[in-house]
Amino acid sequence: MAEKRIRGDILREGFEEFNRLYYRASKKKWMFPIVSLIVASMALMVTLGMGVYEISVPDAIMVMIDHLRDSVTDKTSDLYVWDVRLPRAIGALFVGASLAIGGAIMQNVMHNPLADPYTVGVSSGAFLGAVLSMIGGFSILPFVSEDLSTISNAFVFSLIPVAVILLISKFKRLSPTAIILLGIAMMYVFSSITQYMMITSEAEDLAEVYAWRVGSLSRITWDNLPYIVVITTALGLLLGTMYKKLDIMYTGDNNAKTLGVNAQRMRIVTLTIISLMTAAVVSFTGTIGFIGLVGPHIARIFVGSKNKYLLPASAAFGAMFLIVADSIAKVSGINGLPVGVISSMVGGPLFLYILIKQRKKVWN
Amino acid sequence: MSTITLRRSNEKDSIVDKLQNEPVLDVELKNLDFAYKSRKKTFPVLEDISVRIRGAQLVSILGPNGVGKSTLIHCMNRILDPTAGAVTINGYDVDGISIKDLAKFMGYVPYSSVDNFPLSVTDTVLMGRHPHSKWGTLDDDLRIVHEMLCLIGIEDLADRNFNELSAGQHQKVMLARGLAQEPRIMFLDEPTSNLDIKYQLEITKMLRRLSREKNMMVIMISHDINIAAKYSDNIIMMHDGGIFALGKPADVITSENIKHVYDVDAKVIMDEGRPHIIMIDDDDTNYDDDHEFSVIATKSGETYKGP
Repeated sequence: MAEKRIRGDILREGFEEFNRLYYRASKKKWMFPIVSLIVASMALMVTLGMGVYEISVPDAIMVMIDHLRDSVTDKTSDLYVWDVRLPRAIGALFVGASLAIGGAIMQNVMHNPLADPYTVGVSSGAFLGAVLSMIGGFSILPFVSEDLSTISNAFVFSLIPVAVILLISKFKRLSPTAIILLGIAMMYVFSSITQYMMITSEAEDLAEVYAWRVGSLSRITWDNLPYIVVITTALGLLLGTMYKKLDIMYTGDNNAKTLGVNAQRMRIVTLTIISLMTAAVVSFTGTIGFIGLVGPHIARIFVGSKNKYLLPASAAFGAMFLIVADSIAKVSGINGLPVGVISSMVGGPLFLYILIKQRKKVWN
Repeated sequence: MSTITLRRSNEKDSIVDKLQNEPVLDVELKNLDFAYKSRKKTFPVLEDISVRIRGAQLVSILGPNGVGKSTLIHCMNRILDPTAGAVTINGYDVDGISIKDLAKFMGYVPYSSVDNFPLSVTDTVLMGRHPHSKWGTLDDDLRIVHEMLCLIGIEDLADRNFNELSAGQHQKVMLARGLAQEPRIMFLDEPTSNLDIKYQLEITKMLRRLSREKNMMVIMISHDINIAAKYSDNIIMMHDGGIFALGKPADVITSENIKHVYDVDAKVIMDEGRPHIIMIDDDDTNYDDDHEFSVIATKSGETYKGP
């Protein structure tokens, strides 16, 4: 206390400056997510005019406004813009955001820059589930339509890897690396079954399976959009509330413990939430790679690793990236391409460029 | 279900609250064992350690590598669970306190941080406030963070990223983080190993001062026998997974003890009532005459030459 009183005045003056600088630095970090969101909302408008059905962007926006005012003039345009493109575009935002948040958190809790929602086997599990339905006609839920059985299969199978990890961690303490290796091991098992089924399948089924494998937003409709929006928003916000504990996770398990955070429990909890969130997305879109892996890395370059900024920044970037990629995908090729093709084609080189150019060390 | 958990956590809270208000802390290790277990073998590290540390003071733990110093500290702050025995504070078993509550009460400065992370120094030190923080306490927490940065003398590093700093600066940040926890008991694992001589002295001196000012028990692992002897109130010397000697520096730091524990010949002189060790070189070979050697440097055209 004596220390405090003698140095009191110096400290007080110093603190005002310190506090001002701290908040100023914080404010700057919101720039990146805000800009990403502005670009994303512009892309949301632009993408309404993009696709195989030809309509200009301003016309498409007018069609949407007409629909909102309940004065639909052109039924065909309304069908394409309102019923097909708008839910798909909104879906893109939420899918991109949730995959990027998942990646940001997994890279942290696994202490591995290569971790993303798919590394633990979520995507290969989902794919196996989907293939079992599409080729094998197997459904985990009885008496449902083929579409629904694909989705429900994908959802249930994508949760298997995390269930296995949870089960094993009951008996044995799993290191972050062991968890990733476990995911990769399961990925190989799932892939081998999938490959076997694909080799023995009809050509017609194979095309469908292939589209699912690459990942596409074309299956998002007004009917399933609410599920995606509600689940990703709720779970994303839940993860967001853990931002302080997530910062402490960077310091390693022992340090975390002495700061009051049980790292292993945190790892299991976040992993489970991320799997649920990813499963909800993957079961509708198939496996869209790249965003969960690279979105957080790009966000980190702009806002650093503090989760208070990293999570919103990753989410905003993921949303922006996927909607832009999907807009490009829709006008590529003869009948458009699955977004997975574009996201990897654009994202891979972009990632390489940034890795080479960046000066600041953002990961260790 | 939820009411049961709630009641239990309230009880845990009250232990820490009670301890926070205790004027004198009394830490007791009772018949503590710790062993690392693999599938077939067990490797005992600590065997039957019983020790009682009472009151605000600076205690140094000395001993050779691998003797179990860090393990002992880790058993006390629950990073590790002892294989047998218990750690109590004023009669309360630490095992019955949640780790979040324990973190309000015990600070920890790890051995030079291997886990490197890209957060600013301010945000790193702010982590020390996590056990205490609630919604809307950021400004108060920042005030404490700033105070600790000033105390350690690293306020100029506030905006730098932790992973851009040197090993010595890392240690200072970790010290500030530990102090920001405002603990009643502070554990430090070689807190000055990467610091220059000035800071080694300043930090150790500061720890002794803070123990009195903040009524804090400071338990520090050290490899610098002379600095430990100069500033510690008590010294615990470990050997072979147990305690070999403990007490006032003058009683513990003796030629015989150094020889026994470290297998090193040293002579101990007394300086202002504190022991100081001087190494004895038992190698009689003359290395100076049989060949030529030198070090040469130039600066602004002038040449500096060694012997």
